[in-house]
Amino acid sequence: MASRNLPAPDEARRRNRKVGLIGLAMALGMLGMGFAAVPLYRIFCQVTGYGGTTQRVDSATASAVQAVGRTMSIRFDANVERDMPWQFKPLQTTHSIKVGQRDLALFWAKNTSDKVVTGTASFNVEPEQAAKYFNKIQCFCFTSQTLQPGEAVKMPVLYYVDPAILGDEDNKDVEQITLSYTFHVTATKDPVAVAKGLDHGEVGS
Amino acid sequence: MISGHIARRARLWGRACIFSASAVFAVPALAQETGSYTPMKPVEGVGMPTAGGLGFQQQFSPLGEYGLWIHNGILMPIITVITLFVLALLVWVVVRYNRRANPVASRTSHNTAIEVIWTILPVFILLGIAIPSIDLIAKQYKPAPKSALTIKVTGNQWFWTYGYPDNGDFEVVSTMLNIPGQPVVNPGTREVGSEPWDGPSHLEVDNRLVVPVGEPIRLQITAADVIHSFAVPSLWFKLDAVPGRINEKVLFVEKPGVYYGQCSELCGAKHGYMPIALEALPRDKYNQWVLTHAGAVIDGQKAPAEPAAAEPAVETVPAEATEAAATEAVS
Amino acid sequence: MATTADQFQGHVSDHGHGHDHLHEHPGFFARWFMSTNHKDIGTMYLIFAIFAGIIGGAFSGMMRVELAEPGIQYLDMFAKWFGAENPDFTTTLHTWNVLITAHGLIMVFFMVMPAIIGGFGNWFVPIMIGAPDMAFPRMNNISFWLTVAGFVSLMCSAFVPGGTGLGAGTGWTVYAPLSTYGSPGPAVDFGIFALHLAGAGSIMGAINFITTIFNMRAPGMTLHKMPLFVWSVLVTAFLLLLSLPVLAAAITMLLTDRNFGTTFFDPAGGGDPVLYQHLFWFFGHPEVYIMILPGFGIISQIISTFSKKPVFGYLGMAYAMVAIGVVGFIVWAHHMYATGLSVNTKMYFTAATMVIAVPTGVKIFSWIATMWGGSLEFKSPMVWAIGFIFLFTVGGVTGVVLANGGIDDNLHDTYYVVAHFHYVLSLGAVTALFAGFYYWFPKMSGKMHSEFLALLHFAIFFVGVNMIFFPMHFLGMQGMPRRYPDYPEAFTYWNHIATIGYMVMAASLVVWFVNIAYAFLAGRKAGDNYWGEGATTLEWTLTSPPPFHQFETLPVIDEAAHH
Repeated sequence: MASRNLPAPDEARRRNRKVGLIGLAMALGMLGMGFAAVPLYRIFCQVTGYGGTTQRVDSATASAVQAVGRTMSIRFDANVERDMPWQFKPLQTTHSIKVGQRDLALFWAKNTSDKVVTGTASFNVEPEQAAKYFNKIQCFCFTSQTLQPGEAVKMPVLYYVDPAILGDEDNKDVEQITLSYTFHVTATKDPVAVAKGLDHGEVGS
Repeated sequence: MISGHIARRARLWGRACIFSASAVFAVPALAQETGSYTPMKPVEGVGMPTAGGLGFQQQFSPLGEYGLWIHNGILMPIITVITLFVLALLVWVVVRYNRRANPVASRTSHNTAIEVIWTILPVFILLGIAIPSIDLIAKQYKPAPKSALTIKVTGNQWFWTYGYPDNGDFEVVSTMLNIPGQPVVNPGTREVGSEPWDGPSHLEVDNRLVVPVGEPIRLQITAADVIHSFAVPSLWFKLDAVPGRINEKVLFVEKPGVYYGQCSELCGAKHGYMPIALEALPRDKYNQWVLTHAGAVIDGQKAPAEPAAAEPAVETVPAEATEAAATEAVS
Repeated sequence: MATTADQFQGHVSDHGHGHDHLHEHPGFFARWFMSTNHKDIGTMYLIFAIFAGIIGGAFSGMMRVELAEPGIQYLDMFAKWFGAENPDFTTTLHTWNVLITAHGLIMVFFMVMPAIIGGFGNWFVPIMIGAPDMAFPRMNNISFWLTVAGFVSLMCSAFVPGGTGLGAGTGWTVYAPLSTYGSPGPAVDFGIFALHLAGAGSIMGAINFITTIFNMRAPGMTLHKMPLFVWSVLVTAFLLLLSLPVLAAAITMLLTDRNFGTTFFDPAGGGDPVLYQHLFWFFGHPEVYIMILPGFGIISQIISTFSKKPVFGYLGMAYAMVAIGVVGFIVWAHHMYATGLSVNTKMYFTAATMVIAVPTGVKIFSWIATMWGGSLEFKSPMVWAIGFIFLFTVGGVTGVVLANGGIDDNLHDTYYVVAHFHYVLSLGAVTALFAGFYYWFPKMSGKMHSEFLALLHFAIFFVGVNMIFFPMHFLGMQGMPRRYPDYPEAFTYWNHIATIGYMVMAASLVVWFVNIAYAFLAGRKAGDNYWGEGATTLEWTLTSPPPFHQFETLPVIDEAAHH
């Protein structure tokens, strides 16, 4: 018998435990990565415009931007999810703006229910490669909006298209950019339970 | 509920008429009319599956023809040859190297040259596939021009709505026609076959998605509840309808006709019963169809005489923009 | 293969006979419920997989009978079977979605994976590397019972409300938001819990295999001498370890979205339903390799055995599997071409996906080269293995078609996709399972099966599955979407053929069961190495069945054994 024996049982058990724990650590690491994917994906989208995520800038940055000659058509689109008892429309179908020029677009929403409804808007732009050049300075989508029963509001978006888009090969064929919003219900309350005089967040005209 | 035959001039179009690809724009005089529309009768086997069919449906868009060519001209020959080659090799080793034919096995277990060849050769084959394939993707993603008509598609459990923001923002609700002899899928909707223009069961709807032919159309797709997928096989078109965002893609239909598709992302119980029926019309006929809707607008011009409320051609949702403009509810 | 019986020194097969330690003869309950023996656990996995496979297969039979004709014929009856009283039409249709969901989940998590990894992996990985057992025998037991518990949870889900009817009708992909606010009721929670349990079991199993293969190889059994089946299980274990936790995270977030008001995948709270798909397919694509790689390993052993030749290009074969595993992690979004990916993303995933064809091609050609110059013996495992190579090739080339993002615009979510993944899984992984079954059944049971019945099983099965799945290519190209209980007239012909094919396939399974019964009742006793000179891995040095404990003295593999 030229067979060799096992390493000492304790030694074998120690080695097994080590490899097993490394494996467990890898699995837990991947589990953590799975959860971390949510914020990482959000940041990735915000930075790169992936998925049609628009950029958010402060007015100081925006005021440094100069309009250039070329015009771009901007289309506005509004949706509500199935359970949202609001009417929601853009007040203009399209705007023709100079690239780099600031523009104000208005959306209109009306609460058709007898409840106080708070909504949040999700948004994206198409074609999505234009998203990283689409800058919002002010938007009703930055916060949630609350509408009293029957109340209607106009909601502004202040935005511009970064002139850098003109130098981007991926965007050379883009003539029209669509800015789309979808309102979702985040809370509903009975009107009696709510005190008068709610503010409307950043809604204004 | 039966749509589209109020102002019916009993004029069924033969769909054989082929129009040039250039769009026929509405002349101002057209806006004086109130519009007219009779659904087109589909041609058997066109824009729909054919019984016992073996390949793709006939294609009616430039990219569909390109995609079909890549499949039939490049992919299919390559995969057929590869499969037959593997089969031939298997048959050969079975015949040549069975125990009786070759009692003593060789011990060969390496041949660097052949291993390099069968690694490198597939790379070149794949490159040959990838070049047209990548080109096809690039063309599919070419954005629509500024002037393109925009149509909004919304998936719902379990029907589609089609919005026409450039034509006065009316909306068409499209549900599948019930199937005779089967349980009622959509209460209140008629049965398929009860009108002369009805296409196949499971595919025909009460109100079709009507589009102009021969011009790029910007289709914007979203969903109101869960994910759906808008698909028309004969136009090589498929794009998911994702709630909370729009997806956009250019649609170009080359010939007038009716093209059918079905929801292609599992969306709940009646996933199988929310087909898509797309009717492509020449621009003037499209405009006539548009004018059958309340609040219809063509090229920014409102129709002076809107159809009476008593006879809406199709279910419509009136545009709210005018009401909205008048509302001054906010500070 | 890498090691040969005669090069392997010391006759070990007599071990076990002379050992009469008390713990070797546990009572029935202790042996089968508290087992820590890798062979017993492997056997339990196989029996469990057969049981689950019968249920999953019955579900596909229910689907095929419904699809035989257009219209809804049997679904309301099936709805009643699950406990729906006087189901309305929506509830009836919901039952369809429950069937497709359960079929997918059962076949993936409770049939193929338990059989090929839990069953054959447990049985033969320790033996092939000359180890006495798995590294963590008690964890092995826990893995098995977690899988069983997961299956029970999944079965429970079919009888509780899941939105529009009883059971989870979300598809095996459990896409949000259909699986969140689209499916109220506990059914989807039970389904998710089933995946948690089975996933935890599989992760433990993966750790066990990795530790066993790294630490418990017999002296001289270097990594580059390991049989390819062991290599395949090693790669698979890494895929499990790295992909399943991501699924666990994704479905945990589904669960909290459903029950605790989070909005990970809900646009109402800033979530993105497409992110769920990214996470799911980051797991889901490696998952398809998890199912097929051990099959590759089994086929390699069989081809080598019955060609009486070492595997051609052993290192290329091993590293082709590693390459498939690695590339498998960076191609996931080819399952999402229709979700509205950006143009660059779609181009990248098209190109990356096609790369997989290269190592897969290396494997196909290496198997053929192994047979080339061999002295082929067409015993049942070999016939199944040759069938595998052909069927897998057909499934592989349609994968190249689907890899093209622009072509997938038409084929996505159609029956073409159904045909493709059943060719690689139902006809690939399952054919490999049957090949492995006939290869090792006498070793595991000690009884020879009937070669005639095994070949008959193959012939009928081959005709049946091709009748089911080949016409689905035609249906898909014609535009028939998947997950449909009903269809227009035009799809009738090929659907009808597919249903007939199902019956043929089902008949072949009867032959299989008869064969098993024959083996136990009248089968000849199997010798140590019943396949002869070509079978050179360590399991052929042991008795059939092997002793309860093997290799108490480790075998030593000759340094010169390879090549």
